[in-house]
Amino acid sequence: MDVETVKERAGPREFSPADDMPEKYRKAATRMIQFHANSEIMGAYLEKPFIRQAPSIDRKLAFSAKVQDEIGHGQLLYRAAESLGIKTREEMLDELANGEGKFLNCFHYPMESWAEVPMIAFFVDGAAMRRQATLKSSSWEPYAHAMDKVCFEEGFHVKHGEDIMARMATGSRKEQQMLQDAFDEWWPRIIQFFGPTDDKSTHHDFSAEVGLKQKTNDELRNAFLDAYVPKAKSYGLEIPEYPRIEEVGDGEYHVEEDDLDWDEFFTVSKNEYEPGKGQIDSRKAAQEAVDWVRDTIEGDANLPGSQAAPAAD
Amino acid sequence: MAATEIELTPDQRLALETELRTLADDEFVLAERYTEWQVHAPTLESDLALANIAQDELGHARLWYDLLEELGYDETDLLWERDPDTFRHATLSELPFPEGEWADAIVRSYLFDVAEGLRLESLEESAYPAIADRVGKIQREEGYHTEHAENWLERLATDDEGGDHLQAAVDRLFPHALALFVPTEPVPFGAETVSGDGAGSQYTDTDALPDAATVEETIVAEGYRTDSLATLGERWLDRVVPTLESHGLRTPVPADGEITDELVPDACGRNGRHTDDWDTLYADFTHTYRELGREDATMIMDRPE
Repeated sequence: MDVETVKERAGPREFSPADDMPEKYRKAATRMIQFHANSEIMGAYLEKPFIRQAPSIDRKLAFSAKVQDEIGHGQLLYRAAESLGIKTREEMLDELANGEGKFLNCFHYPMESWAEVPMIAFFVDGAAMRRQATLKSSSWEPYAHAMDKVCFEEGFHVKHGEDIMARMATGSRKEQQMLQDAFDEWWPRIIQFFGPTDDKSTHHDFSAEVGLKQKTNDELRNAFLDAYVPKAKSYGLEIPEYPRIEEVGDGEYHVEEDDLDWDEFFTVSKNEYEPGKGQIDSRKAAQEAVDWVRDTIEGDANLPGSQAAPAAD
Repeated sequence: MAATEIELTPDQRLALETELRTLADDEFVLAERYTEWQVHAPTLESDLALANIAQDELGHARLWYDLLEELGYDETDLLWERDPDTFRHATLSELPFPEGEWADAIVRSYLFDVAEGLRLESLEESAYPAIADRVGKIQREEGYHTEHAENWLERLATDDEGGDHLQAAVDRLFPHALALFVPTEPVPFGAETVSGDGAGSQYTDTDALPDAATVEETIVAEGYRTDSLATLGERWLDRVVPTLESHGLRTPVPADGEITDELVPDACGRNGRHTDDWDTLYADFTHTYRELGREDATMIMDRPE
């Protein structure tokens, strides 16, 4: 199939491994899905310490399950990316370990306190939900199909994240202040989650033309603000003065993009932001420490650790 | 029958609480350690599998703590505000994993799950109905855990390097696994749990407590658990020692099979003495609770039946 035909036929779940897709499409889809899979892994890596720090048994159980779900999403997405025939899962995991694999801006920032948990588990996951919901109509069927499960589980994560936030927002004065401090710090990063405005985004045009991507960065960000600015306010959070957010009409919001630090964003995106590099390197060290296990089980399809492991369900 | 409907003498109550604390603390602390492998396991698949096991163990801890709650405690008494010296888990649960030592997780799980399986069998006919009611659900999940550990044991043992890692784990963990069969030093009742008529008040301070061996006798005599720890320990050795040997692994058990006190670490957990790693772990998992100045533990799930 040539690129022109792909553009003509591009529609929700239109293409599958049975189709002979041009390399340009397969590479663009791989880049997008690999980025998504990497983000699941690095998000899980960032949140994992809070399994231990969760302040009740139920929260601990729910948080352990959430981190597990994210790893499951990574597994599913790497499989969807592999189905394009450009890279193997192992290659993609190697790229992630050695700092070549790109992932979401928010997961480059360190997390230190429980008050930051809802910043990820409510706002960032909520933002991710918005994007992922549109990707159910992606033209690469295995990707769209993975989104069905991912969106279903993310729904629970966002609810749990909101519950953690609600508890803090109605807690002691100290808890409320911790929550506001975390919000002040994370809010600009959360808005940048959707990337730069469309005229600065390099990959959008082709991905949109071949139906991989369904909405523009701007559309997604504005829809997020419309939903989440009122939610934040309803929990008593004050929206920081900068970046300036303007209510442009009937419950619609617009952000002044020049108020955001795009130099930092692009440094982060290139894996060159220092705390983020620390995250990448410490995860790499953890993975290297179990290299010996992977060597031991290599090539064994029916044993634990392989894709066929029963507990992977 | 709800636990609270049963009249307990102070000795009965002490025995019951001691058995429940032992069960709950083992599971909770082990789960706490297992979660360290989340996002750190060798493959995505093994990561998911061990996360499942960690959540199962946390769920079991919740079932056992819940029975203590029926006796008048709440979650903050049992975990978040509890003196760390009163935890009674065996030290097998609390030891940290040396970095990258997946073999440690497998051996630990194997030694623990076989022991737990035997203990659960001995609780099936518990004279305390609420215990017997909960055993079935836990047994179904533990069966899977043991199978998971055995599969990995077999796989790692066929590889030279894997075998070395396993042997190091057995050497390190076996003495702490023996602690699973040491009678548990009882913990005084919290004054807040003593009923209005004063029942049980004789055990509000440590001096008045009977010793661990006496409490263990009561647990068996009352039928809360139908076999003694000594019997369970023998069954455990009969099963794990030949299995480990079949994989070419040596254990510290002498040829005559006689387990002496010298094989068990001085700080074994059951006696209220722990390793320094326990203090660190306790400080970590209670950190947020203290930082937020909480006075209760949020429940978001239905309580167990």
